[in-house]
Amino acid sequence: MNWKNVAFLVSVERKSGRLIRGQRLTKYRESRLTANLFYIIALTLGIVIGFFVGTAYSQSFSDPAVSSQFQPLVLSFLWSLPTIVMIYSVVFTMFAQIQRSGIKASSQVPFWLPITWQEHTLASILANMLGFPLISIVGIGAGIVTFGFFAGLFIPAVLTSLAMLGAAFTASALTEVFRVLQMRFVGAVYKSSGRAAVWVRFAGSLIFFLLFYAVYFFVIYGTGALTFIQNIASTQNSVWFVPFVWLGIMLYYLTSGFLLEGFLFLGLSLLLIAGLFFFGTWLNKRFGLYEPPAITVTHGVYAPKTGLLGKLGFSTSEAALIRKDLKAFTRRRELMTIFIGPIVIILVPLFQQFGQAGEAGSVQLNLLWAGLTFLFPASIMAMSLGNLIMGEEGQAVWRIYAAPFSARSLVKSKYFFVVLFGLIIFAITSTLGAIIYGMPFRAVFVGAFEAVFLVFALSAVSLANGIKGADFNELPRPRMIRVEWSLINLIACALGGLAILAPLIPYAISTIIPGFNVLDPYIAVGISGVVAAIIAFVFYRIAINNAEELLRNAES
Amino acid sequence: MSSNVVELKNVTKRYDAIVAVDRVNLTLNSGEIFGLLGPNGSGKSTTLKMLLGLVHPDEGLVTVLGMPVQQDPVALKRMVGYVPEAPRLYEFLTGIEYLDFIGDVYGMQPEDKRNRINEYLKALQLEGREGDMINSYSEGMKQKIALISAFLHKPKLLIMDEPLNGLDPRSARIVKDFLQELKRQGVTTILSTHVLEIAQAMCDRIGIMYHGKLQALGNMNELREMSKLPDSGLEDIFLKLTGTGDVRPVVEELLK
Repeated sequence: MNWKNVAFLVSVERKSGRLIRGQRLTKYRESRLTANLFYIIALTLGIVIGFFVGTAYSQSFSDPAVSSQFQPLVLSFLWSLPTIVMIYSVVFTMFAQIQRSGIKASSQVPFWLPITWQEHTLASILANMLGFPLISIVGIGAGIVTFGFFAGLFIPAVLTSLAMLGAAFTASALTEVFRVLQMRFVGAVYKSSGRAAVWVRFAGSLIFFLLFYAVYFFVIYGTGALTFIQNIASTQNSVWFVPFVWLGIMLYYLTSGFLLEGFLFLGLSLLLIAGLFFFGTWLNKRFGLYEPPAITVTHGVYAPKTGLLGKLGFSTSEAALIRKDLKAFTRRRELMTIFIGPIVIILVPLFQQFGQAGEAGSVQLNLLWAGLTFLFPASIMAMSLGNLIMGEEGQAVWRIYAAPFSARSLVKSKYFFVVLFGLIIFAITSTLGAIIYGMPFRAVFVGAFEAVFLVFALSAVSLANGIKGADFNELPRPRMIRVEWSLINLIACALGGLAILAPLIPYAISTIIPGFNVLDPYIAVGISGVVAAIIAFVFYRIAINNAEELLRNAES
Repeated sequence: MSSNVVELKNVTKRYDAIVAVDRVNLTLNSGEIFGLLGPNGSGKSTTLKMLLGLVHPDEGLVTVLGMPVQQDPVALKRMVGYVPEAPRLYEFLTGIEYLDFIGDVYGMQPEDKRNRINEYLKALQLEGREGDMINSYSEGMKQKIALISAFLHKPKLLIMDEPLNGLDPRSARIVKDFLQELKRQGVTTILSTHVLEIAQAMCDRIGIMYHGKLQALGNMNELREMSKLPDSGLEDIFLKLTGTGDVRPVVEELLK
């Protein structure tokens, strides 16, 4: 193993990771302080917090009798740390891989250079650990070691820090194994599913992202995270046969004086780490340069008809553009997440609320959640899709510039697409909301109309901003919209949404304070409709003007 | 209305302090194959983009197929076929889906579109791969798709930047012969390339750009006269006219 090669590869991966996250690297060599700023901050915070908590602990529990009562609690927390670190490291390293999967800039294995697969695999595992997993370990490790120094738990704290490092390495190695296997598995699926491959891929990606984000939100946010830690601390030893808790069990035995068992689980943990590393190396050697086979979608003559789109008044070129965008959003992985965002955002709290729905005393809360289910996902879809629908053309935008598209045709096609998908999301989430929360007819009526108004108006607002701020750069990853225009769009959509919903505010308050209602909700819906129509019309015109400017100044 | 297919009158384009195209005058006739040559950064691509209305001149007038390019850009684009240097295609589409998209965008009749797509796919040996996603194509296959999409709607003017990039010898020959046939049918082709042998063999007239200026313009004999190299090929003429001819010291420096 040439360790210099490993170090070089890690630094390359680190820089490419920063580029993918959108940072600009202007210098070839950076100061170590800048490059490691977050690690330094985590280390300092850990030491400071560890110092204060440790001295407070040692002063408060100076009596050994009292101290001995609290020490087991502290120790049980330390024992749970390696497993917790392992779980969130898996989540974050997988998240980093997902981020990388959509980029155009290839992080191809430099197989033509004198680098072995072992060096490449080790560098990839170490690079995966960089970022949140390692920063958190530095912070927590410094904190518990400093605390342990004052609290008489120095050795358990040091062992815990080392076990956390081992856990993060194991998690990262697991991600590396998963990455290569997934690549090979996807290839096999494409090959076996033939023409259906494109839909298998779409459905598979949707399910994967939905599951991943559901787990991600569960681990990171809300009461799920705390319950999770408690469960690990209490149940770890009873699931000793699961390899991923061995580091935690090792800590338990070593710090409890059971040295034989402790060293046994240390040996098993080291075997696991080595096994994953060598398996990852073998997989990389076997499939590292593997490229999935081409997806064959059509055979022979392909001649779709303008069909329904033609009947709706779209010309052949407009219909062609809509069909092309539909294919883009079902085939490009980075665009699929746009569909998943609004669904996940609403489904995760929806599932949490599911058990509480219908309970006494939660009527207002239910109504609020139901309202959000009706209005929020469709609005987010309109807002995000409208914002990206022009920029998603990427470098292939020259085709739009060079083809005989008028600004009016371009906006008409893109606007239809955004509205269509806003309405599809509305149909799915509002049906779910109406069923789960058992909404009364009046609320369903109001919610449905308001959601449709929001979709039409916010699609126009975001499309106008999306065309104006379109970013066609695809390296290192497709940008689609410039940051400033994304923010402008967020503000514009928030203001537009508020203006549309404003007539409904008295009705919403009346559900909490009976008798407050000053405006019939049906009249309020009518006023909302007028406001939405004005916003949609004005911004549709602005979108056409922006498209004219885009086509006129194509490459300037 | 002018009868010339392309007419540039004193056309200038600046990017901040850089003058990309400097007072260029050029007239092209119907059924002419014109080669636009020049070193990297000489203003060729900018000139081609101005012909399609993708870049606005700061000064001068660009007329294509009898109308100023900004008068009705949509109508103009309908009559022009364009292949940019390193064309980026929609890689999530299959080859045939992409060509179908192009046919629809140019308003082709379904029957005509289907027949022509199949003819081109067969001629350029893409049959059997047309249903695969473009992201699995080699660069040469992508170039073939880009070429077919430029020919598909029977344009009156073809603007092509390095059209034979990555093509296998058979396909390159087919494209060259096809362009000659189109010439006989009255189609005008503007060709930008660094492969001087291709330009010499195919083009009726050649323009050499350098530092944004049209340094030389004419057929091979006229260029030989201008460069005072009576028996030379285009490579020597090009190197002399652009003042970049003496390459030996550079090679010797590299060999040290």
